[in-house]
Amino acid sequence: QAHKEEDNPQKTMEVNGLTPVPDSYDYDLIVIGGGSGGLAAAKEAAKYEKKVMVLDFVTPTPQGSSWGLGGTCVNVGCIPKKLMHQAALLGQALQDSRKFGWQFTEEVKHNWMTMTESVQNYIGSLNWGYRVTLRDTKVTYENAYGEFVGPHTIKATNKKGIEKLYTAERFIIATGERPRYLGIPGDREYCISSDDLFSLPYCPGKTLVVGASYVALECAGFLAGLGLDVTVMVRSILLRGFDQDMANKIGEYMKEHGVNFIREFVPIKVEQVEEGTPGILKVTAKSTTGDQIIEGEYNTVLLAIGRDPCTRKIGLDKVGVTINEKTGKIPVNDEEQTNVPHIYAIGDILQGKLELTPVAIQAGKLLVRRLYAGATTKCDYVNVPTTVFTPLEYGACGYSEETAVEKFGEENIEVYHSHFWPLEWTVPSRDNNKCYAKIICNIQDNERVIGFHVLGPNAGEVTQGFAAAIKCGLTKEQLDSTIGIHPVCAEV
Amino acid sequence: MGWEEMQVRGYPEFVRTAQSYHGRPIFALFCGDKDAEGRSWCPDCVTAEPVVRKELHNLPDESVFIYCLVGDRAYWKDPNNEFRKNLKLTGVPTLLKYGTPQKLVEEECFKAELVRMLFTED
Repeated sequence: QAHKEEDNPQKTMEVNGLTPVPDSYDYDLIVIGGGSGGLAAAKEAAKYEKKVMVLDFVTPTPQGSSWGLGGTCVNVGCIPKKLMHQAALLGQALQDSRKFGWQFTEEVKHNWMTMTESVQNYIGSLNWGYRVTLRDTKVTYENAYGEFVGPHTIKATNKKGIEKLYTAERFIIATGERPRYLGIPGDREYCISSDDLFSLPYCPGKTLVVGASYVALECAGFLAGLGLDVTVMVRSILLRGFDQDMANKIGEYMKEHGVNFIREFVPIKVEQVEEGTPGILKVTAKSTTGDQIIEGEYNTVLLAIGRDPCTRKIGLDKVGVTINEKTGKIPVNDEEQTNVPHIYAIGDILQGKLELTPVAIQAGKLLVRRLYAGATTKCDYVNVPTTVFTPLEYGACGYSEETAVEKFGEENIEVYHSHFWPLEWTVPSRDNNKCYAKIICNIQDNERVIGFHVLGPNAGEVTQGFAAAIKCGLTKEQLDSTIGIHPVCAEV
Repeated sequence: MGWEEMQVRGYPEFVRTAQSYHGRPIFALFCGDKDAEGRSWCPDCVTAEPVVRKELHNLPDESVFIYCLVGDRAYWKDPNNEFRKNLKLTGVPTLLKYGTPQKLVEEECFKAELVRMLFTED
């Protein structure tokens, strides 16, 4: 009986008719989710000598994949993606190098296992690094699944099923998202997602990528760059939410460089033809514009049709935190506070906010400074730069052309654009009319640059500086009067 | 069966010893050579060794703890020495779990909590 009371202090107190108000909580702050946002918030709170706990748990994928501390970005997102994108770029560079005088007689081949082992080893060092940092800064970390069981109480279940209860004054939900499945026969049994791809213990072979998100296009891009036969099945448009002019250019480039596209079809069934690593899968798809049915065989089917927030099974209903029932996203005010004052949320799960690592990190840090260091700065979600690492990289900051037209009116914006040919591409005779840059200016506001878009090598590196300039209120005139660096792509 | 310690000196001996224990968890502490009086040229190693030794009882069963003297100061400073090149060591003392990316470097080895974490957690 004594043991039971200890486990369930809330329940006992409710039975007695008292409102549960423990004198002191176990922790000042419990962060649910050890990803980009969660870890940044926890580390920041530790700086102010708060007692912090981080709960991180990865529910294995249908294929059994799992990973360590650090969240999506570190384990199955940005980091492995960029490394594999780099592997593909290096393949291209090897081809280009012959024109620059490098001589090697053997045909150049790619070994998936070598690349994956190196990538996973690096990720492992990051997982370890986070654990050292947390331990060093006295943040308690538990590899356990956290869910609310009371207004200030979390139940944490570890992989052995052992449950523990913890209480805290405040909570930050930073549980992130997981890939969505199609809900068709064979999807969970036979298909993989980005959660599985970066640690796949065998080369994926001939791959069908379902989806037209940046995840789909980036993965299709590097898989093709590594020499694999890749097809992308797209339901409607590419890169929804991004500037469509740029999205189409990205698609065109990928098509011209060996990626097959099947447009306006959706898979309705996935069957296994042959077991193996990889095996052979048969995909049946239906047209979205008619009754046409097609079939295809692939070694691997990669689903990249979207990601869903991990907010449905963490007990939010028990503590009254409102979520958008349709999307699972959590609406918050401009201080990342949910409708329950002592519960906050950051990162990909937020409604109406950008799903980017640096955004989650910034939001987490600033939130904690407001909570414990008397700061007032709120996270600025406007003009956040981003980059899509497709074979031809795309960097953007600010409005897309469509959104600018919608908001300001076509007559009030001016678009300046240019194709450019990177000097490094001239000698190996690579495309001379694919790289492209455009800026969107607000005529009514001194031709202020409200949108920046660049398609070309190192787009991320190029865009970062312009994002700072845009934050300072860059106008077309200022841009024109800035002398270019030569010879670089950015001078365009 | 608890854990056992092996003491080695130099890279080839380290590699031979590690390979002979393939299949068991291997932890290794790399320190600078000691002089005739048993003092290392590496002051951080002098600080770290007792901290590490105090946590050895936390090693998982069947583990092997390899105490490895890397060489004299001149050898260590050479950027091409085998420990730097092959094991990617960046400093001494280094305490690592062999075959994994898990390691503690220099002042990290002074912290009993971190040493314990390296020995006991996955």
